Amino acid sequence: MRLPARPLGRVSGWLLSLLGAAVATGCASDAELDTFAPQGPIARELHSRGVLPVFWIAAVVLVGITVAMVWLIWRNRVKNYEGDDEWPAQTHGHVPLEVGWTVGFFVTMAAVAGIMLWSLPTVDATETNLMGVTVDDRSVEWEPTVVVVGNQWWWEFRYYFSDQVDLADLRAHGDAKTLPPADIVTSGQMVIPTGEEVELILTSRDVIHSFWIPALNGKRDAVPNRFSPWKIEASDPGFYFGQCTEFCGLSHSRMRMQVVALTPADFQSWVDDTTQDAVEPADPAALAGLEVFSGICTSCHVIEGVNDDVFESADQASGAAPNLTHLASRSTFAGGIFNLYNADGSLNRVQLEAWLRNPGDLKANYTVPGKQYRGMPDLDLSEQQIDDLVAYLAGLGNRPADWIIEATQVE
Amino acid sequence: MAITEKTPLELGPGDTARYVERPLGVFTRPQGGRGWRDWLSTVDHKRIGILYGASAMFFFVVGGVEALLIRLQLAAPEGSVLSADVYNQVYTMHGVTMVFLFIMPLAAAFANYFIPLQIGARDVAFPRLNALSYWIWLSGAIFLNTSWIVGGGGADCGWFCYATNSGVAFSPSHGVDFYAIGLQILGIASLVSSINLIVTCLNMRAPGMTLMRMPVLTWMLLITQFLLLFALPVITVALFLLMFDRLFDAQFFNPDAGADPLLWQHLFWIFGHPEVYIIILPAFGVVSEIIPTFSRKPLFGYEFMVFSGIAIGFMGWGVWAHHMFVSGIGPISVAAFSLSTMFIAVPTGVKVLNWLATMWGGRLRFTVAMKFAVATVAMFTIGGLSGVTHSVAPADTQQTDTYYIVAHFHYVIFGGGVLGLFAGLYFWWPKVWGHFLNERLGNWNFWIMLVGFNLTFGPMHILGLQGMSRRIDTYARGYGFEFWNMAATVGSLLIAVSVVVFMWNVVKSKRDAPHLPPPGPDPWDARSLEWSIPSPVPEHNFDTVPQVHGRDDWWHNKYAENDEGTVVRVATVEEAAQTGEATGVHLPSPSFWPLAVAVGLPLIGYGLIFNLWLALIGALLTIASLYSWAMEPVDDPDATHDHHDDEATEGSSTEGDQP
Repeated sequence: MRLPARPLGRVSGWLLSLLGAAVATGCASDAELDTFAPQGPIARELHSRGVLPVFWIAAVVLVGITVAMVWLIWRNRVKNYEGDDEWPAQTHGHVPLEVGWTVGFFVTMAAVAGIMLWSLPTVDATETNLMGVTVDDRSVEWEPTVVVVGNQWWWEFRYYFSDQVDLADLRAHGDAKTLPPADIVTSGQMVIPTGEEVELILTSRDVIHSFWIPALNGKRDAVPNRFSPWKIEASDPGFYFGQCTEFCGLSHSRMRMQVVALTPADFQSWVDDTTQDAVEPADPAALAGLEVFSGICTSCHVIEGVNDDVFESADQASGAAPNLTHLASRSTFAGGIFNLYNADGSLNRVQLEAWLRNPGDLKANYTVPGKQYRGMPDLDLSEQQIDDLVAYLAGLGNRPADWIIEATQVE
Repeated sequence: MAITEKTPLELGPGDTARYVERPLGVFTRPQGGRGWRDWLSTVDHKRIGILYGASAMFFFVVGGVEALLIRLQLAAPEGSVLSADVYNQVYTMHGVTMVFLFIMPLAAAFANYFIPLQIGARDVAFPRLNALSYWIWLSGAIFLNTSWIVGGGGADCGWFCYATNSGVAFSPSHGVDFYAIGLQILGIASLVSSINLIVTCLNMRAPGMTLMRMPVLTWMLLITQFLLLFALPVITVALFLLMFDRLFDAQFFNPDAGADPLLWQHLFWIFGHPEVYIIILPAFGVVSEIIPTFSRKPLFGYEFMVFSGIAIGFMGWGVWAHHMFVSGIGPISVAAFSLSTMFIAVPTGVKVLNWLATMWGGRLRFTVAMKFAVATVAMFTIGGLSGVTHSVAPADTQQTDTYYIVAHFHYVIFGGGVLGLFAGLYFWWPKVWGHFLNERLGNWNFWIMLVGFNLTFGPMHILGLQGMSRRIDTYARGYGFEFWNMAATVGSLLIAVSVVVFMWNVVKSKRDAPHLPPPGPDPWDARSLEWSIPSPVPEHNFDTVPQVHGRDDWWHNKYAENDEGTVVRVATVEEAAQTGEATGVHLPSPSFWPLAVAVGLPLIGYGLIFNLWLALIGALLTIASLYSWAMEPVDDPDATHDHHDDEATEGSSTEGDQP
């Protein structure tokens, strides 16, 4: 053999350096989806009660076994075994030892089981928390709840203040494709108040998706025809990234979402703004854009105050498309994948125009005529129509706060 | 009957056998021999094992190319090597190919080749069924891959193919149809083979070979066959429902018609989790043969090794829903499956410590086979422990469907399964081919593969914990994924290099073999019965069926322990081994009908997808072939007689092919 003397020493050295690098990059500030950087009480508790203890146990066992193995190799290796005819003592087994390590593993796993049972309520138990919200000049006690609906390839978020829904209602009577009318319907970005546990009711209109904001909690699947409970909570105002994690077809990788956590006061003003219908534009270009919208986009999209009264369902497999009433109040578009604003706060016109020119170039879709569409089709718009549409869409809602726009810039 | 039989040739006392040409050559019963046509009709378990192994290695390359495409696409953010559509097909087919067309058949190669040898049998219980398994497997494998050409692309739903994404509305090409039908065909192959091998293990052991004397490889393969026997019907049901959903609007998985898409997940994982043990247990068996041999000690705690294998086999049925912790099943279900998952780590951990205890106090010889075997234990330990970390269901909500899981199961399946089977290839190569694989190239193969493997999958732990989702065809800049993805891609290229080195080793070893001393029956001073017969193994395996007196019977034919407990040689290998020169051993007769049956099945598949008339033709072919097979006598009255004279061999048994 012409090989280095301690093969597994080299391997474990390699693994150790990997581990070191893991620690180094795991803490890097640019890892927005980092599971080791919890930002809310649920995620923090999950991390400290569930994730870290079992990682420590696994690490100790791994080091123990690896050290034992390296030692055994180092100790018992016969380098030049050609002609070696010696036989070691022929041990066939040792029942007390076997029983010993069976019990040892059993005890270890019982400890892991304890960790699991101890941390399970952190993700599953919900508390009843009420916050006062004013909607249309009426005060309501709102149990913070958002109905989250997965669609190929974007998320819809529905807020019910006036007629609050709960999980049991929806499980008994709900149908993801015909949900009761909500006070706020938005997409791509979920806005939540800080310091409140927000219950999520997850469902889907087409295939299985999975909702995951790593900084705020683990993930849960959105399954068609089912309503599943989940919850998130953010301690501080902030912008938290997420990514669909259940494979959901063609553009699974381009199905992203963010949570914007606002102070209760900011949340109230967001509710005030977002419950309003869209305002009729004054600018002629935007007016022309409204006309284009009304002629073409309304076969899928809803804008409150424009076509919500006549809209039935979108020409999509899911029967839905993002509600655009307050598009401009969100910092991303197209399933949370593109920034709607540049770092300097100006509209990201280039990206929005490119999207309108041919969405399929930027996000894989399935728009074969005669079959159910999945994703936004190429609308064959003229440059003039695109300019007008951009002028119109840019005026739908208030520009988000500067810190949100800044947080949206990932690169 | 008429088409395969002819009037018996009348022979006078002094005549030698003569054969007359038949009008329909294809119906001439094959006589065995060395040409390529004899590989088509062979029922020899060794040849079938080789066929399985060679085909598996071919699909290893296919699946490997798919893996490289995945890694090239993900090397940098916003990758544009593949479109999203093609990426989804490639990653799906990578999984399907590696599981069903590489690891399973490679394990089947070991099972076919070595179970009869290790238990002292001349063949498996049903040699023609054995051929049927292989040909059906091959026809299913080819069928599955033709979807690239005629199906509008590969399946694009992931190997797990969750409803509702597997429906026609969401996966409109024929890829998923090929998946559903192809896997059913492959399932028939595995099912037939599992029954065959179970019967072989239970009924064909040499005298004295009690169950608790069977080599651990045979034990683990036997457990694997039981897992296959019970797991495959479940996935077959699921695939059948999927097929009817897609082809005939059956609505089994359509939520708009009241279906629950989670049904598919349960069915899939009731199969899918035992499948993990189907993949890993054969490698455990291989390692349990190699480590004792090169530690020059018996396996530590044989009974514990066997029973922990059985325990894994049982408990493997109670853990499936740990794939579904975030699917929305209730908290008590989650807790129950979380607990069962944790406790399956107990027998697995016992195995690991027993391997270490076997090495304890041994005189370790680090041949390439031993290196692979020890690396298998080390890498599997990492995979097993990362599994423990996400057996904690709440923690799993952060880790499931991320690259952490990809890292975990590649450490189990590649680190445990593939490295283990490579250990087996290096170990048994001289037994199968009569020459060694080159050790120097083998060392290159081992080290490049080990480093490449860790460089590919080690970083995926980090990526997963950094929040990189699985099954994404691209990722955005700025999330911190760039560096480790590039590292993983470099690692995957290293694995590719190591596989090329292996193939070069295969070629070079064969070319060099005539100039090197032959390995002899027992080159490694090993322990089980297959080393008591010449290398390569003669067609009839054993000159005389061995009488077994204990565990590691072959080793005890060479060595004994004296009163002080030291090992003394009682016979040389040459004295103890069989010569392989026996003639007149009764062997099962070859047949073309297994192949003919297998050819019909893909036709049924294409027919279901494209035109039902074609399915009718396929069904007729299959049924006609089955009838012809049934009518074909088990023993060919015209067979060459040098292997067909029972009386000539003293003590021989005719276990080969009894109806």
